[in-house]
Amino acid sequence: MLESVITQITQWLGEDAGASLAYITNGKHMAWYASVRYTLIAAVGGAVCAVLFGLTGAALKQSSFLPFKWIGDFYTTIVRGVPDVLFILFFPLAFEKTVEFVLARFTCSSESLAVATGWPPCDAAQWYLRTGDYLTMACVSLGIVYGAFAANVIHGAMQAVPKGQLEAASAYGFTPKQVFWRFRVRQMWIYALPGLSNVWMLLLKATSLLSLLQIADIVQWAGRLGSANYFPGVGLVHPDWRWKYYFVLFLFFILMTMLSERFFEMLQRRASRGMALVESN
Amino acid sequence: MFETLQQTAFVQDIIILAKPALFNLYFALASIPMGFPFAVLLAIGKASPNRLFSLVSRGYIYAFRGSPLFIQFFMCYSIMLALNQSVWKPLGINHIMLHPLFLGPFVLVLNTSAYAAEIFYGALKTVPKGEVEAAQAYGMSRWNVFRIVTWPNMLRLAWPAYTNEMVFLFHATTLVYFTLPVINEQKDLMNKASELFERDYNVFLHFSVAALYFLLISIFIFWLAGLMQKHLNRHITGEKVRLFFKPRYLR
Repeated sequence: MLESVITQITQWLGEDAGASLAYITNGKHMAWYASVRYTLIAAVGGAVCAVLFGLTGAALKQSSFLPFKWIGDFYTTIVRGVPDVLFILFFPLAFEKTVEFVLARFTCSSESLAVATGWPPCDAAQWYLRTGDYLTMACVSLGIVYGAFAANVIHGAMQAVPKGQLEAASAYGFTPKQVFWRFRVRQMWIYALPGLSNVWMLLLKATSLLSLLQIADIVQWAGRLGSANYFPGVGLVHPDWRWKYYFVLFLFFILMTMLSERFFEMLQRRASRGMALVESN
Repeated sequence: MFETLQQTAFVQDIIILAKPALFNLYFALASIPMGFPFAVLLAIGKASPNRLFSLVSRGYIYAFRGSPLFIQFFMCYSIMLALNQSVWKPLGINHIMLHPLFLGPFVLVLNTSAYAAEIFYGALKTVPKGEVEAAQAYGMSRWNVFRIVTWPNMLRLAWPAYTNEMVFLFHATTLVYFTLPVINEQKDLMNKASELFERDYNVFLHFSVAALYFLLISIFIFWLAGLMQKHLNRHITGEKVRLFFKPRYLR
């Protein structure tokens, strides 16, 4: 199908356009376009994790039981004081090593444990990670990092819910639990949305770091496709074209930001339906 | 006692990672003084009534805030490489232009000035109108209005957010050596921590020590910025705004 389209275009626009179109639709380029899925999965998965971590963190920060409050504050402060790259590298490695440590306890014989010098102590304890595993862990680590950001946003938004609403709810005889879930959490979203949109933008940009976890994502493919291409029989196919590919990625992320902005504007409008006192962000 | 303490892996790591920490500090310290004036110019450009200036500044700020720094590093490095044969080599500056110690701060300046410009722009918009009008009523020239009223107010209003941006910038320095070539022993905290990790797979120790360095330096930046905050708000009586390690979470 694709080939016939290319021949058509070659007829319309001439050889050059046809050749470059054929070039940018060859197998490797198709693999590059397909690898966008990793970025999108990590972004969406990371966002879901971040909201979960954010809600947990906000609940902890809100808690009247002091140790819980400390845990919440500790979590948000530590994550903010440390670069996101460090966490995104640290968490998968730490998780992998922990799993291998537990595996070694159960699968390795005591003799092999005694003589082992390297890591893992025996072959059975080696955990071979695939792209899917790395992707899941990337989602979780993005969730941990941006969950701390989201926790602060959600914490602030919960405080912003008008007290009168909550008091009216309790006056109507709702239990504290119901007041929390049906009024506080229900109404908090409009106050949290501008902040959460900001966190989403950060998270989206952080998905470019997937290649650090050996995932063949758009960044890694761009590097591969752009490097000077030399074939023994053909000669130099193209010199170092990486800047073109990275420029495309640059535009891609700007486009994603634009789309997200639109999306959050829409969401904000939808969430503020029927709300009396919402100042536009 | 002291010697046994020195033998512990934790203290060893702190000693080993002290020098790499200086590289992170260097990148931040080299880019903040350059980024600041550039950001102020961009902010004034964005607020300017001149359509062209405004459009260019807006576009720049949007592009560099809307794309990941990681990509910006790769892009700038590959552009520099592409220009190497035709421009840098004939000029004889190819070693400087491709050196991470130059290119790192260069890209960081491009990036941070966009973020900081947005902060300064927001502050420019909230400078009290009455004060500007009063200054105009006194017959001050436009330059004097800017110098005496707009500038100090802008700086004062933007400072807390700018502090936050400086800490973000410091954290962003980790990306330099993930994208640019590492030359000899010029390694930053993350490089060195990963290298130590590959030696004995003790992920918790090495990364925690690196994290500790980041945390301590972040707190130090907040402390320094707090002093400046006090200085900027010295004329304001009543409740003082204090800046301490209470990070803001937006960028």
